[in-house]
Amino acid sequence: MKRWPLFALAAALLAYPWLVAGTDSAAFLQDTGALVLLAAIGASAWNIVGGYAGQISVGHAMFFGAGAYLPLLVYQHWQLPPLVGVPLGVAASLVIAVFIGFPTFRLVGHYFSMATIAVAELLRIVVGNWDFLGAAIGLQGPATARGWYDVIFRSAVPYYYIFLAVLALLILATWRMQQSRLGYYLGAIRAGERAARSLGVPVRRYKLYALMLSAGFTSLAGSLYALKTGFVDPDSGLGILVSVQMIITAALGGAGTLFGPLLGAAILVPLQTATNTWLGGSGSGLTYIVYGGVIVLIARFEPGGLLELWHRLLAARRRRAEVRHAA
Amino acid sequence: MLLSAEKVAKHFGSFQAVAGADLAVEEGEIVGLIGPNGAGKSTFFNCIAGDTPPTSGRILFDGIDVTAAPAETHARLGIGRTFQVPATFEDMTILDNVMVGAFLRHPQRGAARERALEVLELTGLKEQSGQRARSLGTPGRKRLEIARVLATGPRLMLLDEALAGLTPGEIQRAIELVRRIHAQGITLVIVEHIMEVILTLTRRVLVFNQGHVIASGKPQEVVNDPAVIEAYLGRGHARAARS
Repeated sequence: MKRWPLFALAAALLAYPWLVAGTDSAAFLQDTGALVLLAAIGASAWNIVGGYAGQISVGHAMFFGAGAYLPLLVYQHWQLPPLVGVPLGVAASLVIAVFIGFPTFRLVGHYFSMATIAVAELLRIVVGNWDFLGAAIGLQGPATARGWYDVIFRSAVPYYYIFLAVLALLILATWRMQQSRLGYYLGAIRAGERAARSLGVPVRRYKLYALMLSAGFTSLAGSLYALKTGFVDPDSGLGILVSVQMIITAALGGAGTLFGPLLGAAILVPLQTATNTWLGGSGSGLTYIVYGGVIVLIARFEPGGLLELWHRLLAARRRRAEVRHAA
Repeated sequence: MLLSAEKVAKHFGSFQAVAGADLAVEEGEIVGLIGPNGAGKSTFFNCIAGDTPPTSGRILFDGIDVTAAPAETHARLGIGRTFQVPATFEDMTILDNVMVGAFLRHPQRGAARERALEVLELTGLKEQSGQRARSLGTPGRKRLEIARVLATGPRLMLLDEALAGLTPGEIQRAIELVRRIHAQGITLVIVEHIMEVILTLTRRVLVFNQGHVIASGKPQEVVNDPAVIEAYLGRGHARAARS
C-alpha cells in the first residue's frame, strides 16, 4: 500500500482547525469538524462488529448511552469529574456486550438486528423512567470548569484534537485487528458461518470478541459526546437514531473498510448541519429523510459503500489504460 | 481405528435421512461412500463432520467421542471437510481463504501465511493467490476448498463430491491431487457419484440407499452386487444382471 495518501490525510486532519481559523465562521467550521470526528469514532466502533464481522447491530445506542450517561452521573450525584465515569462506561458496556452477546449471537441475519433493537429500546424506556438516571429530563455536566479535569473548553478546537487522537487510536486498533487472526476469522464469519466453523473458527466466541471491542469504543464515543455537550437525555444518548446514524455513516463510506466510516462522517455530518441550519427547528425531521434517502441509494446502487465504488472506478480506469496501451 | 461411527441415525421430523449407519475407517485408508441421490450420504457426512448432531448413535474419532461436539471442535481434532456446494469466502483473496484455515494451527500471521503458500503450491493455486475467490470457476473453487481444509492440518479429510461437475481432464488432475494428499498420510472419506473416481482411488466402498448401508466391500465387487444395481437402476436391471 502506498503511504503518502495516509500522511496527506493525517496532515489535512491535523491542520484543519488552523486552516479554517481565519474564516468568518471559524468557530462553526471547527465545531463541525469535531462533530465529524465524533461521528467517525462511533461509526468506526460499530464497524468492527457490523462491518468486519457482518453482524448488523441496530442497538449500539446502548453502548453509546452507557458511555454518555456514566460521566454525567458521577458528576450529578457525587460531583466527581466526569472523566471518572469514562472507564466506568467502558466497563458497563463490556458487561452489557457479554450479556447481550450470549443469547443474541444464536440468532442470524435480521433476527439478530431485531433483537439488538429490542434490547436498546428497552434500555431507553427503563432509563427514561428512572429518576436516579435523570428520567426523561436527562443529566447535566458541570456548567463551568472547576479545573482541567472537568475537560470543559469554550472553543471546539481542544475537543477536535482529543477526538482526533481517539479516532487515530481506534483506526490503528482496527488495522492491527485486520492483520491478525481475529480479523481473518471475523471476515470468515461474515462470508459464511458454516464454512468458518468447518475450518475450526469458534464462531460465537469470536463474535463476542468483536462485540466487546466494538462496545468499548462505542462507549468512548458516548463519553466524548457527553464531555463536549455536557448533557444527555434518553433520546440523544439511547435513541434508535444514535444507532442508525452509526450504521448509515459506516455503510455510506464502506462497511468493513478502515477509512469508510470517516469518509461517511465527512459527508453526512455537514449535510445534517446544513439541513438543520437552513431549515431551523422545523428542519430537524429532515435528518430522518436524509437517512432514508442514503439507505435507499446505498442499497440500490453501491452496497459496498463509496470506497468500494472508488476502487471499482480505479480498476476500470486501469483496465481502459491497459487496453489503450495494448492497442 | 481412526474413525468409527456406530448406528448413526438422523431424523428430520418423521423422515429418516440416515437409519443406523456404521462406518469404521483405519488410519491411511481411502473409503468411498456411494449411493443414489437422496440416499442419506450427505446427511451421514454432515453428522461425522459435526455440522448436525445425529439423533442417535455414537461417533468416535481417534477414541474421542465427538458425537455432540460442534464443527469447530472436529476441525481442531483433525477432521476436515469440503462442501458439496463450494462455500468459499467469495470476497477474500485465494490466499486469505487458505490463511483462515492455516490460522487454526498457526496463530501468528506470518506462520499462517507461510503455511497457506505451501498448501497453494501443493494444490496448484499459487499463481492465482492474489485473486478474489469469486473469480474462480467451479473446478477452482473445489480446489480452493480442498486447499483451505489442508491448511487446517487434518488427519482425516471428508470430501463431499469434490470432483462432481468437472471435465474429464480436470477429474484426472483432481485425482492426482487426492493421491498427493493421501501420500502426506491423510486418511480420506469421499462421497462421489463418478464411478471412475471411486474405482481408481478407493479400496473399500459403502453403498447407501434410503438411509441404510446396503453393501460394502471392494469397489469392483460392490458394483456387481444385485442390491446395489437395484438401488441405482431398479428391479428389472437387477434381475438382468443376476441371470
